[in-house]
Amino acid sequence: MATDQLYFSPEHTWIRLEGDSATVGISSFAQDELGEIVYVELPRVGETFQRDEVFGSLESLKTISDLFMPLAGEVTGVNQQLADEPTLVNEQPFTVGWLIKFRPDKPEGLHELLTAEAYNRLTKDQEN
Amino acid sequence: MKIILFSDVHANLPALRAFFADAERHSADAIYCLGDLVGYNIWPNEVIEAVRSRRISTIAGNYDFGIGRHSDDCGCAYKTDEERANGAISISLTNELINDDNRTYLRTLPAHIRLDFQLNDETLSLLLVHGSPRRINEYLFEDRSENSLLRILKGADADILCFGHTHQPFHRILNSGDDNRPHFRHAINIGSVGKPKDRDNRGTYAILEFSESSSVLDSNSVTVTFVKFDYDVETAARAVEESRLPDAYAENLRNGY
Repeated sequence: MATDQLYFSPEHTWIRLEGDSATVGISSFAQDELGEIVYVELPRVGETFQRDEVFGSLESLKTISDLFMPLAGEVTGVNQQLADEPTLVNEQPFTVGWLIKFRPDKPEGLHELLTAEAYNRLTKDQEN
Repeated sequence: MKIILFSDVHANLPALRAFFADAERHSADAIYCLGDLVGYNIWPNEVIEAVRSRRISTIAGNYDFGIGRHSDDCGCAYKTDEERANGAISISLTNELINDDNRTYLRTLPAHIRLDFQLNDETLSLLLVHGSPRRINEYLFEDRSENSLLRILKGADADILCFGHTHQPFHRILNSGDDNRPHFRHAINIGSVGKPKDRDNRGTYAILEFSESSSVLDSNSVTVTFVKFDYDVETAARAVEESRLPDAYAENLRNGY
């Protein structure tokens, strides 16, 4: 998938909006920083979160990293495959390694997030 | 029942010899080794042979797993280029030193050991792993969230989980039941004999004890004692320095980190 269709949060999640449904995952930078992911803790369908609220976590070999909601909304789907294959998040973070789908309360909030280009600049700065 | 558990010897023969001498005084009923016999020092064969000759039940650590399979990857989750470069020297030297018979021994070590005790009306399940029940090289540090640690213990059906890998000992008691009917579970990191990382350069091992009335209902009915023992750190450190291993590993031994 072309990353220029995605928006990114500074917390290293990406979000793709299609109609009133948003899909969320973590960036390639984030999965690389985390290392091999061993367990993915995801919310239940129907749960609601505020923007920047913790909606789950990723456990890698060495650390646990919280996942932050990029926009407020209600969870409409979770990636069940990750229960058996958590490393899909490492292998294909933008496609089959997606984490949740949700219905944003305010989809227009998307434009307050970072474009792919802006996110790449941010992560290059962090690396340096 | 008194069980001695030790782990992460990492080819440190002076430390292993001191451990055996110290362990003698406890009159334990059983002794288990939780892996990582090799790596980071010059005595992989001697350490393996000392453990084998005593018929100590041992599980594979991530380093043993790699060397057993002629790999150049020990699964050690190095973070920096320097760590990776140092690690590459260690695994290359270990692969050179180890003989075929000892390599096969490592290759055939089990991943886990489970002991189920029927002490009263319920089972007390003791699980021995190297890193975690789900990954040989997963690091379980003391500050892991309770939520995550309980999930790991419950998922593995372990009332007592013993592990090494991080080289930093701790004992945490968690309750997966409630106030009306508690279910106490123990997460025990047994530390390292040969490459400590808890800023104490002595070796560490653990003694696990329970009685006929030990139960998941009583958190005090299973006790863990961590034992620190002195050994000739300088001999082990100088051996590293005189070999092609990075001097950083010698400093790690002197500093306990």
